[in-house]
Amino acid sequence: MTGVSYLAVAPEIILTAGAVVVLMVDVFARPSSRVHGWLVSATYALVAIAIGFQWRRVDIDGPGLSFGGTLLLNHLSVTVRAVLLVTAVLGTAAAWRMLIGLRRRAAEGVALVMVATVGFMLMGASADLVMTFVALEVGSIALYVLAGIVRSSPAGDEAAMKYFLLGAFASAIFIYGGALIYAAAGSTNVYEIAARLSGVHVVRPAVLLIGIGLIVVGLGFKVTAAPFHSWAPDVYQGAPAGVVGFMAAVAKIGGFAALLNILTGGFERYSGAWGDGLALVAAVSVILGTLMAIQQSDVRRMLAYSGVAHAGFILTGLAAGLVASSGILFYLATYSVMVVGAFAAVTAVSGQAATGSSFEEYRGLGRRSPVVAAVLATLMIAMSGMPLTTGFIGKFQVFTSAWEGGYEWLVITGLLASVAAFFFYLRLVVVMYFGGEDGDGTTLETARSIRWVLVFSAGASVLLGVFPGPLLDVLNRVGA
Amino acid sequence: MTGYLWIVIVLPLAGALFNHFLGRRIGEPRAAGPAILAVLGSFAFAAVAARDFFISAGSSEQAVAVVHLFDWIPGLGARAELLWDPLSATMTLVVTGVGALIHIYSVGYMHGDPRFGRFFTYLNLFIASMLILVLANNFALLFVGWELVGLCSYLLISFWYTRPSAAAAGKKAFVVNRVGDFGFMVALMIIFLSFGTLSYTEVLHDPGTVIGAGTATAIGLLLLVGAAGKSAQLPLHVWLPDAMEGPTPVSALIHAATMVTAGVYMVARCAAIFGLSDVAGGVVATVGALTALLAATIAIAQRDIKRVLAYSTISQLGYMFMAVGVAGYVAGLFHLVTHAVFKALLFLGAGSVIHAMADQQDMNRMGGLRRKLPLTHATMLIATLSIAGIPPLAGFWSKDEILAVMFYAGGYYTVLWAVGLVTALLTAFYMARQYFMVFSGEGRWDEGVDPHESPRVMTVPLVILGALTLVIGFVNTPFRLSFEHFLDPVFHSVPVAHAPEDGFLLAALALVSVAAGLVGILIAYLIYGRASEEVRERLLGRVRRPLMAWEHGYWIDDVYGKVIVEPGLRIADWSAGVLDQRAIDGLVNGVGVAVRRLGARLRPLQSGFVRAYGSLLAAGALLVVGWIVVRGI
Repeated sequence: MTGVSYLAVAPEIILTAGAVVVLMVDVFARPSSRVHGWLVSATYALVAIAIGFQWRRVDIDGPGLSFGGTLLLNHLSVTVRAVLLVTAVLGTAAAWRMLIGLRRRAAEGVALVMVATVGFMLMGASADLVMTFVALEVGSIALYVLAGIVRSSPAGDEAAMKYFLLGAFASAIFIYGGALIYAAAGSTNVYEIAARLSGVHVVRPAVLLIGIGLIVVGLGFKVTAAPFHSWAPDVYQGAPAGVVGFMAAVAKIGGFAALLNILTGGFERYSGAWGDGLALVAAVSVILGTLMAIQQSDVRRMLAYSGVAHAGFILTGLAAGLVASSGILFYLATYSVMVVGAFAAVTAVSGQAATGSSFEEYRGLGRRSPVVAAVLATLMIAMSGMPLTTGFIGKFQVFTSAWEGGYEWLVITGLLASVAAFFFYLRLVVVMYFGGEDGDGTTLETARSIRWVLVFSAGASVLLGVFPGPLLDVLNRVGA
Repeated sequence: MTGYLWIVIVLPLAGALFNHFLGRRIGEPRAAGPAILAVLGSFAFAAVAARDFFISAGSSEQAVAVVHLFDWIPGLGARAELLWDPLSATMTLVVTGVGALIHIYSVGYMHGDPRFGRFFTYLNLFIASMLILVLANNFALLFVGWELVGLCSYLLISFWYTRPSAAAAGKKAFVVNRVGDFGFMVALMIIFLSFGTLSYTEVLHDPGTVIGAGTATAIGLLLLVGAAGKSAQLPLHVWLPDAMEGPTPVSALIHAATMVTAGVYMVARCAAIFGLSDVAGGVVATVGALTALLAATIAIAQRDIKRVLAYSTISQLGYMFMAVGVAGYVAGLFHLVTHAVFKALLFLGAGSVIHAMADQQDMNRMGGLRRKLPLTHATMLIATLSIAGIPPLAGFWSKDEILAVMFYAGGYYTVLWAVGLVTALLTAFYMARQYFMVFSGEGRWDEGVDPHESPRVMTVPLVILGALTLVIGFVNTPFRLSFEHFLDPVFHSVPVAHAPEDGFLLAALALVSVAAGLVGILIAYLIYGRASEEVRERLLGRVRRPLMAWEHGYWIDDVYGKVIVEPGLRIADWSAGVLDQRAIDGLVNGVGVAVRRLGARLRPLQSGFVRAYGSLLAAGALLVVGWIVVRGI
């Protein structure tokens, strides 16, 4: 319970140090963008090595707690870090042109991406409600600033402001939930709470349950679950395209990891209650997300609502509890890669700092830019959950968990929504390939870093869809 | 070494990817370089990895290695596992060895084609698929290779897709193979139901303890359906002659040397299952014998140089099926290897002739090419004598071993032996006929055609294959059964039929079959080599009716067209027009419209005002928290 293990926070230390170095070097040396590139790459490489050491440590010594019991070092937290690292690398590459385009403030943007990653990594490792809250704020505040980092864009300012105001509201809800739980259980540490709750008869559980509910709402906001999602379309549409994919992915990964840690770690006893609560949120998210996505005429808003639906699918698995954790992680990892790739494609089509990306811009993309169109089509098909893609494997995993957990009605709802979702995913494919002549007929120039992200995301979505075995093997050890 | 066996598959796969993305950019002839190197690399790796088998030939099963890559579909016992034993090594060496030569040859043959790079993409992809097929250690992976090979065959047959006939031929090959695949899939299902796994290691290790003769017969016959599709055996042989629409190197690689042998390989691989059922084996042998005879008669009346070879391939595959049907696995595989060499040579030679004659394939428009194409002529002559069974060429040794095995099996199989003997005579006849029509006599060329020997890049593979045809038969002669010992570890636990050991009997059988070959060549010489135009016309006029039937392949294609294709098209029309457009589209569109209307009602939720969003958030929070409290208390 006690002790200080620096290995347990090594990735976060390295990332924070990297962010500081990037900022300092920028202040004192005014280096070229190439230097920033090297610094960022080196930082990410070191983080990857640290994550490798963490995994080995857990393999040898088993899971452990440190820093007064606030931080977990187990397979789950290490996997979450790895997924976040991959997302950060892809997100940085996708946003690189945009970030460099900020000129004097490029270092700021790069550092913010790193700090956001630190925050959500800590969320995945936190075993204490206070720690979770701090981590949540570290990550979120970095994202608020990122959303408005292009100062010349009014839409970006609006997005950042909305995100910040509503985010503050959600944070308040979360911390209130934490306070109620502390009042009821006398601790903020999830394992201590679990220990205190076990074996006692809680006479009036309502305070505790309200606390749990408020925590679900607060984190549900971060993962864009409906009906706490309303900020997402506006923010995804207004924020600079380069970073939206990253923003969408990391907040989901951190939020779901925290939900998994808190609910299964501290409140296993009330799993029936929060399971039903999550199931409700899941059903609303899946239905609302799908229905609204069908209506959109802007690709970014469509992706935002599709994100709402995906949050619903992940919650479907989460409702079944810890047994679903490997499926949830698979879903999170593959969805993150898809969404970063999809927004990278949006960046390629609409430009780095643009706001909005209407379907019209995609007309005839199949001819104008075969690679971008092929990748986007692949990602849409993967997101729709077609077999032989990761989307299918992910859905299959969470649906089977939910079915075995007794949420048959939720699985059926999810299946129906998946069928309806084909409409809007394939609509984009149709527009790209069969939409008739394109407006200007010019071919697209795509930055190399973006092309790299595109090919990686589409490749991974298909490859891991055909051969999910190796990744599932690794993730299955997480659930064990 | 064998731990890295996946390199053998990955190399051509990487070559295919490379040419897919960069082939057009780097252009001809550079695109061929990586493709050829990839296949040569695979060959070299396989040759080195197979070294152990040569050293320990005939000793034990220790040489067999299973290379585990990763778990693929654990529930089916389908691990991504490669099996490295003398059988898969033989197949790998044939595929990559003959494949490499054909890759080199293609540099010359495909010269000037606008899709030069794409051609090599497909060739590499084919090699990789075939290697997956032969190296798989379970039926699921085998099936992956099986289907990929079918796909490559489709892509390559219709490579010149702007020709309607090529597009149709590709489609036909695909559809006919699908029929075979159906049987194959059912066989796999029965195997999975009986054994609970698809892994060779478990299924093929003493299956007699799990299934009885009845199940074994069912599995064997269904596997035969699949094998007949891929290896063009009766009644699914119709796609192979049409497949000649593809570029000639494709015919050589896919439709002579490698893909069509997949069926033979599969039967040999499943020897343990066929060993349990005499019926299944008997049916395999009978199908083989009938196919051999039937295809040989059809070949007699063909005028297209490649169609003769196509039917001869079907006929030779029939020999192989005969052999593996009576459990003469070594004889069958031996013929597979020699046939791969000399049939590749024949096709490449034919390609060289076609190339020289400005894409003319009608043998009536050839003749007198002996002097014009000296190298092509010499190598083609070797191959022709080899397939006719003239000693000491490769075809003699392997065909003779099959006939000896058939004769020695006795009883009913003596009849099949006689069929094989007649087929040998016919084979010698139609091959010699082809030789005389193409190379001897006067030139009957079209106006303006000036035959010329092909470039070095095409003739060198011919010479190499010619040399191989001369020597490769000696790997398994009655005097020295090296190949048989090499394969011992594979078949040591199943009953294998052998040729008789009685030297006198063997010599007598060999004499008979050589005599049959010589008689065939003699008749061909008399009709096509020596007789004048008028005499030939008169002679052939006497057998006009059978010739008609043979020329049209017994009208089997026409019957299929009337009985299967036309009604099929009518059903397809109905389901596309009535069922799909009215019933199903109507339903789907109706649902779509309903969903959109519902969605439109929800739009006001998204007003854009932060206060509205905040209220929604608060209301949602109340709802969720209330629900959790209700469910928790």
